[in-house]
Amino acid sequence: MLESKRKNEGDYAKFLEQVIDSLPVPIYVKDAETRFVFSNKHHDALIGRSEDELIGKSDADFYSADATKVFFALDMNVIKTGEVSIVEEINHSTDGIARPVASHKARMVLPDGSTYLVGTNFDITEIKKREEQYRALAETVPVGVIQFEENGSVSFANPLLLASFNFGTEEHTLSSFHEALGKPIGFPGDASRQECELTDHKGHSRRVLVISSGWLYLAKGGKRSAIVSVVDISENAELKRINDEVSRLNKDLASSVQQLKDAQEALVKKGRMEQMGQLTATIAHELRNPMGAIRTAAFVLGRKLQDKGMGVEQQVQRINNGIGRCDAIITQLLDFSRTKKVSAQPGDLDAWLVRIVEEEAKRLADCITVSCVLGLGGQMVPFDQTRLQRAIINLISNASEAMVGNGDKPLENSSAEPRIEVATLIEGEFAIISVTDNGPGMSAEVLAKTRDPLFTTKSFGTGLGVPAIEQIAVQHGGELQIKSSPGEGASFILRLPLVQQLAEEAA
Amino acid sequence: MARQLNILVVDDDAENAASIADLFAADNHRVIIAYDGQQAVDAYAAHKFDVGFFDVMMPVKNGVESFLEIRHFNPEAQIYFMTGYSESELLDRARAGGAMGVFSKPTDPIQLLDIVEKQAA
Repeated sequence: MLESKRKNEGDYAKFLEQVIDSLPVPIYVKDAETRFVFSNKHHDALIGRSEDELIGKSDADFYSADATKVFFALDMNVIKTGEVSIVEEINHSTDGIARPVASHKARMVLPDGSTYLVGTNFDITEIKKREEQYRALAETVPVGVIQFEENGSVSFANPLLLASFNFGTEEHTLSSFHEALGKPIGFPGDASRQECELTDHKGHSRRVLVISSGWLYLAKGGKRSAIVSVVDISENAELKRINDEVSRLNKDLASSVQQLKDAQEALVKKGRMEQMGQLTATIAHELRNPMGAIRTAAFVLGRKLQDKGMGVEQQVQRINNGIGRCDAIITQLLDFSRTKKVSAQPGDLDAWLVRIVEEEAKRLADCITVSCVLGLGGQMVPFDQTRLQRAIINLISNASEAMVGNGDKPLENSSAEPRIEVATLIEGEFAIISVTDNGPGMSAEVLAKTRDPLFTTKSFGTGLGVPAIEQIAVQHGGELQIKSSPGEGASFILRLPLVQQLAEEAA
Repeated sequence: MARQLNILVVDDDAENAASIADLFAADNHRVIIAYDGQQAVDAYAAHKFDVGFFDVMMPVKNGVESFLEIRHFNPEAQIYFMTGYSESELLDRARAGGAMGVFSKPTDPIQLLDIVEKQAA
C-alpha cells in the first residue's frame, strides 16, 4: 500500500501530512529565517491559529518583543550549530491560556542544503502539576525526605530533614549520610526499612526509621537515584519504654493487689477464727460452771442415796457420762478454734505415747487389738502434752468407731479382726506418729472432705474432730496427712517438727 | 478420825460454788463461799482456812490476783484453782506463785475430796 502511495508523490505527501496531523504532538517547521513553513493540527491548536494564519509568519507576529527575542536566539542557535535544544517554556495561546510545554528543537538540513528547524511542543501541564504535587507532598510530610544520586550527591532534601536532622544542605552527600547513620556503604542498595541511630553533625543522636526506595532509574541515561525517608522514632522508642515500664508496674501492682487480697483474706479468716476462739472460750467457761454444778450435785446425790438402796447408781453414772460427753465436745471446739500457740516442751515422745495408748486401749471394745511400733529411739521431740494427748485419743477413738461403731463387735463392712496400730518414726526433720486401722477405709469423696469443719459420717459428733487434730498438728508447726481407700483401712499421720518451730498464731 | 477443815470456795457461779460447798459439807467440813476475788482476800484476812478452791475468771478481782495477794500476807495458804479454760497465762502466773494445783471444770468431785481428805488426815 505504502509502495503504491510512493508511486504518486502528491498522494504520498498528503498521506504523510495526515500521519503528522494524527500524532498527539504539536509539530512545526521553521525556515532558516524562523518563519513557519509547516504546522500540524495539534500545533495549530496549541498556538490557537490556523495553519494559514501561521505559514510565513514568525514568533514576532504572535509574541511580545521580549519573548520573541529569547525564542529567536534559541532558534538561531539551533539552526546555526545543529545542537538540539530542549527547554521548558510557557506557551500562551490566543485563548489566553498559559501552558507549560517542553519545547524540543532540532535542525533539519535537506539534500539541497536548505536548513530548517523542526520543533515539537509537549504539553507538560499534567507532568508539571504532578511534579508540584510530589514536591508539595515531599515538603509537607512529617518525615525527612532526601534523594541521592548514584554519584553520591543530594538532588533533593525536604525542609524537615534540614530542620529536624540538620541534614540536606549542599555540602551533604551520601557518604556523610552513611557517617551519620554509621551504616555500610551498600546503603541505599535495595528497598529497605531499618531502625538505627542517626547522629547529625552537631552530635545530636536519636532513634530513626530509615526507609529506602533502593536505587531507581529516575533520570535519563541509566543514572540511578534513591529516595530515602527518615522518621524520628525516638519518641516512639520513649513511648515504648514508658509503655513497657507501665505494663511492668501494672504487673507489680496486680501482684501487690493479689498479695493484699490474700493478706486481707488471711486477716479476715484469722479475725473470724479469733472471734470464734473468743466465743468458744466464753461458751466453754459459761457451760462448764453449770456442768460442774451438775457433776458435783449428782455425785453428792449419789452418795446420799447410796446407803438407802434406791438403785440410782446407774442414773448418776449416766449424768456423769453426759457431762463427760459435753465436756469432750467443748474441748474439741476449743482445740479447733484456739489461736494461741501451744506450750511445747521437749520430751520422750515414744515413752509418753505408749502410756497414752495403753490407757486409751482399755476403753476400747475387747475385739480391737491395739499395738505400738515405736521408732523414735529416745529422740526428744517438742510437744504440748495436753493437746497432743487429745489428738491421739481422738485418732484412736475415730479408728475404733470406724471399725466397731459405738458397739463392741466389728461392723459389717469392717475387718473381722479389727486392729489399731500406733507407730512412730523419724523422717528427715520430722517425728511421725501414725494411727492406722484396718477398718472399711474411706472413699476419695469422703477423704477429700474429712478435714472440712462440721463434716461427719457419724450420727453423732461435731464434725470438728479431724479439723481439731489438724489444728493441733499445725500449732506444733507440723501437719496432718490422711491416707485411705475403701477396704484398705485408714492411716492418720501426724508430722511434728523435731526442732521447735511452733506456728506463732496458727490461723 | 479426820479433823474438820475450814474451806473457802470462791466462784462467781453461785450454783457451782454451792454444789462444791455441799460436797465438802456432806463430810462435815466448814465451808465459806466467796463470789469474787476481793471477797476471797477479805475472807482470808478475817479467817484462817485450811484449804481454798478458787475459780479463775471472776469479776472485781480474778482468782489469780487475789491468790497472789493472799500469799503476800499468808505464804502458807493452800490454794487450788478450778477453771473452765485450762490454758491461760494467768494460770502460769498462779503456778509460778505457788498454787497447789489446777482442776478443769467440770471438776471431778472425787479429785476434790482427795485433796480435802489428805489435808484432814
